[in-house]
Amino acid sequence: MKIILSLLTSMVLFTQGIHSQDARQIAENASDAVEFSAMEMSATLRIIDNRGNERIRRIANASRKFNETTKTLIRFLSPADVKGTSMLIYEYEENPSDMWIYMPALRRTRRIISSEKGNSFMGSEFSNADMARPVIEDFTYRLLGTETIDGETCWKIESSCISDEVQDENGFSKKVAWIEQTDCLTLKVEYYDRDGELFKVMQLNDYRKQSNGKYFAFHMEMSNVESGRKSILAVDQFQTGSGLDENSFAVASLDQ
Amino acid sequence: MTPRNNIIRHRLWYIIVPAVITLAMLIPLRKARINPDLNAYLSDDIPAKINLDTIEKSFGKTDPVMLIFEAPDILSGKSLERIRDLSKAFGNMKEFDYVISLFDVKDIRGESGMMIVEPAVERIPGTEAEKEELRARLRNNEMAFKIVVSENFRHSLILLNPEEGLTDAEILETIREQLEMIPGDEKVYINGMPYFRYEIQKIAIRDLLILLPLALLIMIVFLYISFGEKRGVLLPLSMVSMSAVIAMGLMPMLGWDFSIVAILVPILMIAVANNYGIHIISLYQELNGRDSGHTMKSIVDQILKRLSRPIILTGLTTIIGILGLVTHIMLPAKQMGIVSAIGIAFALVFSLTFIPAVMSGMQKGKPVSIRKTDKAGFISRMLRWSGQTTTRKTRLVILVFAVFFVFAGAGISRLKVSINFENMMPRKHDLRKSARIADDHFGGTRYISLLFEGDIKDPDLLQRMYSYERELEKEPEVSDVTSLATVIRLISRAMNDPGDPMYDTIPDSRAAVAQYLEFYMFSGDPDDFEQLVDFDYTKALMNIQFTARDIRTFNRITGRISDLVTADPGFRIQAGNSLVEKQMSEAIITGQMNSLVFAFAAILILLAVIFRSFAAGLLGSLPLLFTLVCNFGLMGWMGIRLDIGTSLLSSIAIGIGVDYTIHFFWRLKLEIQQGKSAEEAVVATLSTTGRGITINAFSVIVGFAVLFLSGITILKAFAFLIIFSLLLCLLCALTLVPALCMVLKPKFLYRKNNSM
Repeated sequence: MKIILSLLTSMVLFTQGIHSQDARQIAENASDAVEFSAMEMSATLRIIDNRGNERIRRIANASRKFNETTKTLIRFLSPADVKGTSMLIYEYEENPSDMWIYMPALRRTRRIISSEKGNSFMGSEFSNADMARPVIEDFTYRLLGTETIDGETCWKIESSCISDEVQDENGFSKKVAWIEQTDCLTLKVEYYDRDGELFKVMQLNDYRKQSNGKYFAFHMEMSNVESGRKSILAVDQFQTGSGLDENSFAVASLDQ
Repeated sequence: MTPRNNIIRHRLWYIIVPAVITLAMLIPLRKARINPDLNAYLSDDIPAKINLDTIEKSFGKTDPVMLIFEAPDILSGKSLERIRDLSKAFGNMKEFDYVISLFDVKDIRGESGMMIVEPAVERIPGTEAEKEELRARLRNNEMAFKIVVSENFRHSLILLNPEEGLTDAEILETIREQLEMIPGDEKVYINGMPYFRYEIQKIAIRDLLILLPLALLIMIVFLYISFGEKRGVLLPLSMVSMSAVIAMGLMPMLGWDFSIVAILVPILMIAVANNYGIHIISLYQELNGRDSGHTMKSIVDQILKRLSRPIILTGLTTIIGILGLVTHIMLPAKQMGIVSAIGIAFALVFSLTFIPAVMSGMQKGKPVSIRKTDKAGFISRMLRWSGQTTTRKTRLVILVFAVFFVFAGAGISRLKVSINFENMMPRKHDLRKSARIADDHFGGTRYISLLFEGDIKDPDLLQRMYSYERELEKEPEVSDVTSLATVIRLISRAMNDPGDPMYDTIPDSRAAVAQYLEFYMFSGDPDDFEQLVDFDYTKALMNIQFTARDIRTFNRITGRISDLVTADPGFRIQAGNSLVEKQMSEAIITGQMNSLVFAFAAILILLAVIFRSFAAGLLGSLPLLFTLVCNFGLMGWMGIRLDIGTSLLSSIAIGIGVDYTIHFFWRLKLEIQQGKSAEEAVVATLSTTGRGITINAFSVIVGFAVLFLSGITILKAFAFLIIFSLLLCLLCALTLVPALCMVLKPKFLYRKNNSM
């Protein structure tokens, strides 16, 4: 699924300095470990506010790469009032992504333009920037050392935005990822705001090995330590590869 | 042993105990705190506060500071750059929960089949053409026009909502620091309650630091001029200091913060607490001068014998009048009533214990010549004229008063209640200017929120909300109404092309509403609606912004709101700081009425009891009635509004003003009992007690006059009106009351078996 793919590949970290080679290698390995060129899945997104109120969205998702363009289709399965609402994203190597939404109640498709990538994705704690593939050159990387999480020894890798523009685009100044040493799976990421203070923490669990030898995290949780809100993405079904052809990813097919 | 002997024999105790009490009351004063939060002046269980609390529980507390930038053209590159940099800097700060500016409010629009959600100003225009294009776009942006940019594009606003737990000083210092770090040519005005509280607190502290010593100094000069010897200054002044410390110390001791009007407490003590001491010194000088054979102890004995009763009676009436404030609804008024009454009670008791005790241990001073024989003195001339006029042209005096009463009283119909906090500030204060800009160019500083509950995505509810919006926006004073219905409508404009039946409407199906909102989530920020709808779409707010300079306009608009929404099944409550302010205005009126009626009735009864005559009660209350009617009439004619300060007036004026009539009755009765005719008795009373009454009144007036130097406008108005009222009370006691006594010849003055 696109979301998870992006989230995980966003943790591919390239480094400079003393540990740059090590850090880069680790980051590449972490990216490779979760690399899928095509996948289909269904998942439940729970958005929980600081009082414990919940919004639950069930979504189906398919993603496949055609030439240089990764095309992702997300369809709402529930709640009833938004069932059938679909979202199509084209991600290009160079240019900004295109995004369309189809609303069944209006039988209408609209393109979305939004300038704020740091904004929330679907009203969750995951951001639009988390959904998009990060530009590798946008960060500098550093190996901070090793730490143990849940009995797993992890490398601790910091990636910092190289400019204010990159910060604005991503909505954070730097992030620190814990990557376990056996299979190079990312277990935790901390996000720091412009003042260098921690504001979000993501935890990834329930990695399952897929038929192609890659891993996929079936449970992801993003907590906003400032607002007390959190969002949980739990994967219900997952398969590598997608049976959908390119026509299924066309804007004209959104209403079908 | 009589109490008099007791005081002289155990005089050390009568000196030490008051001194110790006073010193002990200095301890709680160290914990004293000024609370300039006007909302705290009403108790928490009033409906407006409960409703506001309900809304704040779901939607967070809003207590914003507004920064208004003024420039010839706010869209000029430099001004926009400064506003951008500042709103970005504020947005990144932990001190602020949210920031609203041209760079934060959204522009939701449709363009060639796309929905665009971006900040109202996405880029700073580089060319003249781009600038005009931006201007046109802002004019069409309902979320920005007249909200963050003024109609004439000369002003723009940054609204900052501080995080809870910060002090006003911290908030304002943070803002000032940022404004200095990102400087520019634009004039910046600040508005909002945090700024108001911060400024009024500064002024209040300045007032206390300057006015108190000044009032004391004036009183020292006044006492020295009146008595010409040190003890004549020090003894009454000791009463002032003791009662002021006790009254002020009681506030923190009882767990109360000093309010803005609490500044009046020490001033009131300075003005009133020395009255009893003045009478004592006056009699001491009289006895010392008249018969040098007196020893100090015999003088003290005489003083206690002759003055105890009148001092206790006038003290009681003052205490009871001021206690009228306890029936006031505003907490500061109640608190002021209680501590002032206790302070005066202590002054009364100490005047009859501490002063005689100290005096009995003193050497007799040199006899001071009393200007009793000074026939050319202003007071003497005035009193002589008054005596002649009231005895010779009695009916004319009554007629003149009656005409004045009717004319002045007519002004009451013009009396208005102030609902503008900023009017407490000096005329040239920033807050007054920024409030004017907000009223003239941004659609006002008053906000009311309506809470709706239910399924907020229900199109029926949203359509009803939209219809209320349209109706309310027809009111000329209402500048902006925003709710989720507004947002849905704006999304419908972005989603559909003009001419499409769905364009600019609330859709008919719930699914369509839900999908609009879901759609918005992909391009906007979920926080964009935080002020309009709660997380699970069960509660929604409609925020109404309007201007209302007086309570009539305010009531008309809130009335219109109630008419529209009360019957709506989804409507729950209306709330907002404006409604708390309105309730405060009503509390001012009710409080004023309560304390006035209480003080008036209590004084009437007390007079009737003292003189054992209902007629005495009525006759003695007449000057008070006259004074109050003229006072409120004058306020009406002069456009002085009833506010938290002026609403304290009547109780205080009644409490102090009645003393003059009591003194007058007292002496007049004595003169009549000595066999004088009514005419002779009036002339004799005016030339003896009349003098004491006049000096007493002027000492009070001098004490209050220092308030003219206060930085808080409402206290200046208070000073003007209390002085006016006391002068009227004095005038009544010296002319109207004697004239009425001449005409009516009330029986109580002629009864011999009186306990007096």
